[in-house]
Amino acid sequence: MKKFIFIILFIPMFLFASHVSYEVKIYHVIFSSLFPQKDLINVWSDSAKKKETLSQIKCIHFVELQKNADILLLSKTKNLTSDTMKFVTSYKLLKHYKQSAVGGFYWQKGRPNILFLKKNLQKYHLKLPPSLQEYEVDSL
Amino acid sequence: MKHLIKIYIFIFISIIIAIGYLYFSLTQTQEKLADNINSLFISQTREFAHNIQDEIHKRVQHHLYNTLLDNEELRLDLEDSMSTVTTDTYKFIYVLYKDAQGNYRYLLDGSKEDKGEFDEKLNVNKNLWNRVYKTQHSQLLYQKNLDGLWGTYLEPIIYDGKTVAIVAIDFSTSFPENIAKAMQPLNNIFLYIFVAIILVLIILAYQTFLNLRTKKDAITDELTQTYNRNYLREFLEDINVAKYQIIMLDIDYFKHVNDTYGHKIGDNILRDVSELIKKQIRQNDKLVRFGGEEFLLFIYRKESGAKLAFNVAQRIRKKIEKTPFVYGDVEIHITVSMGISCSPEHFKNVSDAIKHADEMLYIAKREGRNQVITQENKEGVTTLKQDEGLSIHEIKEVIESGGLRCFFQPIFDTQTQKVLKYEALVRLELQDGTIVPPMLFVPNILYTNLYNQMTKGVLEIVFDKIAKHQIPISVNLNFSDILNNDILEMIVQELESHKEFAPWLVIELLEYEPLDIDKTIVMKNITKIKSYGVKIAVDDFGSGYANYEVFQMLPIDIIKIDGSLIKNIDTSSISYTVVRSILLLTQELGIETVAEFVHSQEVFEVVKELGVSSVQGFYFAQPQAKLLEEED
Repeated sequence: MKKFIFIILFIPMFLFASHVSYEVKIYHVIFSSLFPQKDLINVWSDSAKKKETLSQIKCIHFVELQKNADILLLSKTKNLTSDTMKFVTSYKLLKHYKQSAVGGFYWQKGRPNILFLKKNLQKYHLKLPPSLQEYEVDSL
Repeated sequence: MKHLIKIYIFIFISIIIAIGYLYFSLTQTQEKLADNINSLFISQTREFAHNIQDEIHKRVQHHLYNTLLDNEELRLDLEDSMSTVTTDTYKFIYVLYKDAQGNYRYLLDGSKEDKGEFDEKLNVNKNLWNRVYKTQHSQLLYQKNLDGLWGTYLEPIIYDGKTVAIVAIDFSTSFPENIAKAMQPLNNIFLYIFVAIILVLIILAYQTFLNLRTKKDAITDELTQTYNRNYLREFLEDINVAKYQIIMLDIDYFKHVNDTYGHKIGDNILRDVSELIKKQIRQNDKLVRFGGEEFLLFIYRKESGAKLAFNVAQRIRKKIEKTPFVYGDVEIHITVSMGISCSPEHFKNVSDAIKHADEMLYIAKREGRNQVITQENKEGVTTLKQDEGLSIHEIKEVIESGGLRCFFQPIFDTQTQKVLKYEALVRLELQDGTIVPPMLFVPNILYTNLYNQMTKGVLEIVFDKIAKHQIPISVNLNFSDILNNDILEMIVQELESHKEFAPWLVIELLEYEPLDIDKTIVMKNITKIKSYGVKIAVDDFGSGYANYEVFQMLPIDIIKIDGSLIKNIDTSSISYTVVRSILLLTQELGIETVAEFVHSQEVFEVVKELGVSSVQGFYFAQPQAKLLEEED
């Protein structure tokens, strides 16, 4: 009976965990590629959920102030004018920050979608490794 | 038993194979049904994709991208049409085109949720999509790593022979679930069938277990857990007798153990002896409890010439002899005797071979017990002479089938010539009615349990006659019988059972045996018998070892003067003088006398004149099956 309750309670968590761990891996690759020289990347995020999810990535450190951040991970904030590098978590925000965001990662139709905007990457003098170059686009 | 187990195993294997075949067939059927349902859904999907394509072709004649780019209303209209197809199964329906960079972007999206915008890029498996683009053939992709999606159907949209876009329909994971749901009633039926079969199988297995246990109980001796006579009967039906040697084993003085220590310890001995024997034999050998303390062993041999049984028997005998049987404070040492039928194949049938082993056993017991006797090693011991009478087995069979008889010879008062009493003389009556005199069977069973059995039978017949006619009857016993605890105890038990008739019983002790015995024990035992009122007579006095010491040693009531002195007393002066001297002594001691072998008027006149108390002999009456009182 105990085993049954354990399975009932934990199977959905395992499934969710697998989805989350996939996302964590992608973010790890993305941030490591954006800052190949840095062992610890300071990230500011407006989403508590993202902070919780990505806190397990060792090379990421979440900061409280935007000014201390190497990159801003945006899920909802629209009125930022900071020059700090931005990365977004939805297509709508990517369109909104298409002049300043280097890219975005979001899920659509069950598929992970990664986009990097070439001109913004160039603005920050960033060159992606070959594995991510296929996600670079000239425009949205 | 083995056949039964084989049959059950065959049935079980057949059922398991049948279930396996059924399961395989059902799985195949399920797979085919699933494929059919699958195909049905796919063809329906294809139909939807065609309809969407037709609709797009109908509404956009050329330049699909540009037309849709410029006409948002048309896009919304087409997306609205596409969304009507969207269900739980068809989760996303959309149209993508390939841009100059080779990325796929939305033209239309009829999805109700997670909707993509016009020109928005969607990450797809480019290799597979490009293949559809290139080949212009529709394709079904199975999605392994996409959350909530099971597969995607791709249909190219072709304008002027060129692929310009692809209609994509994503199946949700509910698609296989729906198929499974469609299959559920069938699965349930299969499940019920399996459960029913499993239940039947369990019941059958339980029934088989019960049958086997009942069968095992029926052929197993409860106390010793050896085979019993039921098994023996079955075993002997299909035995290849050449493959076995037969040992008949008997625990020596077992009755004494039972009487001394009680039946509980007797049972323990039987159980422990059986265990010891089992440890000394192999799996192929068979141990059967044949009777009370008698066991039959069938020693298996691969070749008919092999002689294993003697070694096995000796091993068992030595093991039991050396093993102390300890029960609480009691330590008992016992021995066993064994007879072996070494070549059972030489007998007419297996029963005769068993009888032969039994005869060898009787020899082993007669020759002092705790030994193993075979046909080969019985040289040097007194063997039975078949031509001198009945064999032990014949005697046993006759006694056990109720053929024990007593003939009665009347003893007359010399003066009144009236019947005073009878002497019971043992006989055997064969099945054909032949009456066998004692000299043809008694010597063969001396020192065997059969002799005890016979004596007990004679006493019961005699007490029956006494009870009916209240007349004294004498029976003959050997001196050694009085010294044998088993026989003495049996006699005492009989006297105890017939206490009121015991005073009519006379025990005649045959005097021919040497009296170099412990007089104290003889006296004690005879006193015990006499305490029931039984009279003691000395038989055949005056012949052989006639010894006047007997008067000192025994509390004698009657002397029976031997026939060799009486039969020619009318002509032999020596016989006459000897008898007269015997009579002088008995008259002085107050002992009654009987003259045996009175066969003529002349002999009778002499013994009468000498003052012999009573007479018996053919002159008056021969031994007969009935008392004179019983004759019509």
